[in-house]
Amino acid sequence: MSANKILIVDDEEIIVKLLSMSLRSDGYETVTAYSGEQGLEVFKTESPDIVVTDIKMPGMDGLELLKKIKEIDSEKEVIIVTGHGDIDSTITALQYGASDFINKPVRDEALAIALERAKAKISIREKLKEYTENLELKIAEATEEIRRKSNFQRLLIKSSNDAIVAFDHDWKVVVYNSEAVTMFGEAAKDVRNKMTIDDLYTPKIAQIFKNQAKEEKRQNTFPWRENIINTKDGRQIPVRYTSNALYEKGEFVGTVNFFQDLTEIKRLEKELVQSERLAAVGQTVSGLAHYVKNILIGLQGGSYVVDVGIAKNNTEKLKTGWGTIKRNIKRVGDLTQDLLTYSKQRKPEFEACLPNDIADDAIELVTDFAGSKNVLISKEFDSGIGEVVADPQTIHRSLLNLINNAIDACLEDEDTSKKHEIKVKTYIGKDNHFCLEVKDNGSGMDKNTQKQLFNPMFSSKGGKGTGLGLLVTGKLIEEHNGVIEIKTRQGIGSTFTIKLPYEKAN
Amino acid sequence: MSKKVLVVDDDPDVRSFVVTVLEENQYMPLTAQDGIEGFEMIEKERPDLVILDVLMPRGSGIRLYRQLKTNENLKKIPVIMFTGIALRSFLKSQKALDEFKGGEVPEPDIYLEKPVTPEELVAAIKKKLD
Repeated sequence: MSANKILIVDDEEIIVKLLSMSLRSDGYETVTAYSGEQGLEVFKTESPDIVVTDIKMPGMDGLELLKKIKEIDSEKEVIIVTGHGDIDSTITALQYGASDFINKPVRDEALAIALERAKAKISIREKLKEYTENLELKIAEATEEIRRKSNFQRLLIKSSNDAIVAFDHDWKVVVYNSEAVTMFGEAAKDVRNKMTIDDLYTPKIAQIFKNQAKEEKRQNTFPWRENIINTKDGRQIPVRYTSNALYEKGEFVGTVNFFQDLTEIKRLEKELVQSERLAAVGQTVSGLAHYVKNILIGLQGGSYVVDVGIAKNNTEKLKTGWGTIKRNIKRVGDLTQDLLTYSKQRKPEFEACLPNDIADDAIELVTDFAGSKNVLISKEFDSGIGEVVADPQTIHRSLLNLINNAIDACLEDEDTSKKHEIKVKTYIGKDNHFCLEVKDNGSGMDKNTQKQLFNPMFSSKGGKGTGLGLLVTGKLIEEHNGVIEIKTRQGIGSTFTIKLPYEKAN
Repeated sequence: MSKKVLVVDDDPDVRSFVVTVLEENQYMPLTAQDGIEGFEMIEKERPDLVILDVLMPRGSGIRLYRQLKTNENLKKIPVIMFTGIALRSFLKSQKALDEFKGGEVPEPDIYLEKPVTPEELVAAIKKKLD
């Protein structure tokens, strides 16, 4: 909008007319009045952009008119026409907010300049107003956006499936979302802005994050890690977590930690392992059927021999037949135990025990049998192992299984010229393990057999194996947080090594 | 004089069962624990019949059977295969060996799949020896 409408007020009619004519010819629109009172009326109805008024008028003079106009609209440009030397009025007019002054007699050039200046002022003011209005709008928009974003972030943090905990640079908790409440068990009102990292976390966990803040800024985030969190109320939660150290212009301002509760995942993993194991037992059925058939054959044969012994009153036959029956009853027992061990979850029962003594017991059980087959069993025990915390059952059964396998490997060996020998060794291994080693110089295994060793149902012993032995051993060792290592060469022999965590008993 | 029957089986329970069946039917039992011992025994004792297990450590029944059937002096000795292995699997392994080693070995005279009752076993033995 360009300022175009001008109100001219003067009690001298001729001046008004002259000025009006002159301005019209310059392209302005003019309205006129011949007194202050009339000027005010016209101002109200016509709403001109600029007012040019004489100062001296009967009745309402120019100053009074200026005052009234400014009361109605303080931004209107009012140009005052004064006589020479009228300083007092000029000062009053300035105080009332007059825009400009021109002297009488009014010259066209002087008026034109005053009008241009007034117009420029109006234009600047309009622009300023526009800017201001725009600015307000922009601020309103920005504020809304910030509110929305912060709301979004608040919701994001609040509804996150991760527990989120953030600390300021003094390690005071500033963010603690509802998942965090669930995980750590402390109410938000007791934690937020009240606790420090040391109040919320156990010292071990707190130290991890503190160390991170000390490190180079380039490494301000670390990959997801897993750990067990001990909550203050005594729960143990397996978690996956990560942390970001926050910097603003190079200054450490805080840390944010993300935790994911792995309890459910761990449970599912366990369930999966369990169901895989049950499926494996299913697969074993065909192998088992074969094995059970062999037991049945043994029992039937045994009872036939016992029948003959009874009929003939032959003690020798009775003994033989009864021996067969007892052996096969034992096979049923062993099989049942293997199946149960394999299909059920079992926690090792840790207690103080002597691995060397347990190994001795296991060797004792098979020495006679091995001897009858010309297989020599020797031992080499490290007495330094002493008493350890472990599950004696696991050690005993695993070792017995490996020794029995070793005997079988010797019996199966095609090379009958070898002097077959099994060496059972115990020793303290690297990285805090103690080891139980069974080494034979029997048949050894080819690659294919090796690959299938821990598969259920796989037996290299024809109908004479259940295919469960190594599987059960493997599971027992795994439950004991140990490992089995195998070295074998076909025709040369095999070495099985069980490594279990070494914890000395007090 | 009663006829000699050799039982080759690594399982002592099977041996004592078959030995008892043989004694009860007036045969003279001989035993061997594996294929190698079995072959020595056959050469030495020249039994009238061999009852042979298939899966044994140290010289399987498959190998011993081949040894017998390809030996001019021994090939006439009748053999009863007495095993937990299905006939189909046994023949398959024989066929593979035929192709591998050349020549053909006749199918066993009698093939018994365990479990076998004493009566079935006796019937099979009698069929070959009487």
